[in-house]
Amino acid sequence: MRRPGLRTRVAAAFAAGAFALSASMAALSYGFTSQALMAGRERSALRSAYLDAGVVHAGLATERPDIPGILRTLNTGSTRRALLHRDGRWYARAADAGLTDAIPPGLRGLVEQGRLGMQRVDTDSGPAVVVGVPLPSSSGFYVIDSMRELDQTLSTLALVLTLVAASTTAAGAGFGWYLTRRVLRPLDTVTAAAREITAGDLSARLDPATEPDLERLTTSFNEMVDQLSTRLERDRRFAADVSHELRSPLQTLSAATSVLDRHRTRLDDRAATAVTLLSDEVARFQRLVTDLLELARDDQPAQRAPVDVAELAREECQARGLPADLVRVDGAGTWPVDRRRFTQILGNLLDNADRHGGGATAVRLGQTPDAFVLEVDDEGPGVRPEDRTAIFDRFVRGRAASARGDSDGTGLGLALVARHANAHGGRVTVADRPGGGARFRVEVPRTEP
Amino acid sequence: MEQVLLIEDDDRIRLSLTLGLEDEGYTVRGTATAEEGLREQRRSPADTVLVDLMLPGVDGYECIRQLRARDDVPIVVVSARDDTHDIVAALEAGADDYLVKPVAVKELSARLRALRRRARASSVAAVTALVFGDLEIRPEAGEVAVRGEPVAVTRTEFRLLCELAEHPGRVLSRAQLLERVWEYAYGDERLVDVHIGRLRQKIEDDPAAPRHLVTVRGMGYKLQR
Repeated sequence: MRRPGLRTRVAAAFAAGAFALSASMAALSYGFTSQALMAGRERSALRSAYLDAGVVHAGLATERPDIPGILRTLNTGSTRRALLHRDGRWYARAADAGLTDAIPPGLRGLVEQGRLGMQRVDTDSGPAVVVGVPLPSSSGFYVIDSMRELDQTLSTLALVLTLVAASTTAAGAGFGWYLTRRVLRPLDTVTAAAREITAGDLSARLDPATEPDLERLTTSFNEMVDQLSTRLERDRRFAADVSHELRSPLQTLSAATSVLDRHRTRLDDRAATAVTLLSDEVARFQRLVTDLLELARDDQPAQRAPVDVAELAREECQARGLPADLVRVDGAGTWPVDRRRFTQILGNLLDNADRHGGGATAVRLGQTPDAFVLEVDDEGPGVRPEDRTAIFDRFVRGRAASARGDSDGTGLGLALVARHANAHGGRVTVADRPGGGARFRVEVPRTEP
Repeated sequence: MEQVLLIEDDDRIRLSLTLGLEDEGYTVRGTATAEEGLREQRRSPADTVLVDLMLPGVDGYECIRQLRARDDVPIVVVSARDDTHDIVAALEAGADDYLVKPVAVKELSARLRALRRRARASSVAAVTALVFGDLEIRPEAGEVAVRGEPVAVTRTEFRLLCELAEHPGRVLSRAQLLERVWEYAYGDERLVDVHIGRLRQKIEDDPAAPRHLVTVRGMGYKLQR
């Protein structure tokens, strides 16, 4: 499993912290508040019960007391129910009948022993507190005081506190997310600079002054880029020097052998043979150096522009003495490619077919929905499956060519084809041609990847 | 006999190219520095100048600029440098063509012939005057004028302008222009771009926003009123 990102982790930590804090605060405040409210409510229940008990006591002092009448005179409001237990009988107002079950036996025992008692109970209509007041002549006066209102208040409080805790948690997560974004923002400039450098702009640097806390990062980043550009510049200059130092003597060789070649008739047979060898080798050496220098060039992306590839393919065929009608075009004959690179792709594939495949038999320019496709067929021995990757490496020559002792090729032609295809974001592959021979296929995506 | 001035500091290259070009029928004078070459060209102008870029003292670019400041002699760069910057800089300095070493003597000779041929071709084109608004081209006289004022263009620039002028309003691709003006079956299209740029400097009021010599994106160039 992938490790969650820094931002997620920081946000989660902030959320957890905020949750722990707000939940404990909420729990504490709920505890204190409910306790205080409950105690107050019990006190007032006790006080009211006392007062009522006084009234009942006074009523009972008469000769023949009308107990329901006495109970009716009590000002109990809608939340309190009064009950009287006298001589083993329960008395209540008509509306309050059937409440005797709510009186807990323990409380009754306490009152019957002549002691004041109070207990919280759950009734059918919600929580309540029952107050029992002993009266003389073995009577007990009970008041069931409903606490539904308080209960509702407390559940509202609990709801509010829960919501507060939840939103604090969410705010914590949001804050963590925002904070990491703020903290990581300077890294965005690092990313942007790195991207510019990758794209080839070696002048991109970071300003250490913009973010003093990240000075070490920016300083070492800049040092790294300095080193990199120095090294690249050195490599570039070395490549340019190598190019110059190889091309100059080749120029002399080329011009001098052409003079020898022209005056061949004046030479004896042995010398003429030597001149032929010399000029062939010079020509091959020239191709080798040109190809090597091409490969050594830094990997720049292809510079695409519309090219009439159909015309180009015909020209390349004719330049090699092949009939132009080898070229078959399917769809548009103008592709957005790097002309120089595509010319080499075509030329090298045709040369390869000539050297190792008995000559090209077809050149097809086609298209798929997302790529342009060039195929060059030959009718040679084909390429063995185990060689199909290796032939695009440098200095790999066909087996047949080695067997013949033919050293005409440079061994770099197909490597260059692969390089140029890659520069376009495409690739080159080789397969069997139906009916024998090899089929080289170059795919160039329509747009840059 | 065509006279070629070869400015090349490498003695061996100078000697071998001299031998090779002489075999092709040219008369070659070689100098090892730009200063000598410029002096030689002043003393007795050659028909074509071949110049290397890396020269001791005055370098190839400056040499091209000074040659170009004097006249429109065809200048061909023969250099070991194949960097785009170097090629464009040399062409912008005023070179007509650019060849990267090693170049075969036959190829070099073909380039020289092409340069000379187009120089002659333009002088025999039998059209009196081609007018594009305030731009006037007289192929016969080899003259270009903007609002009646003559403008000095090189032979290559003139040939390029004539090619475009012969097809007014029609787009010619870089490949077509390369073939018609430089006689390249295919070649470096930067040759065309840099020459168009040089022409704009000379005939346009605002070279950055050309009115006559316009680029048609993805296709090529055309000349219009």
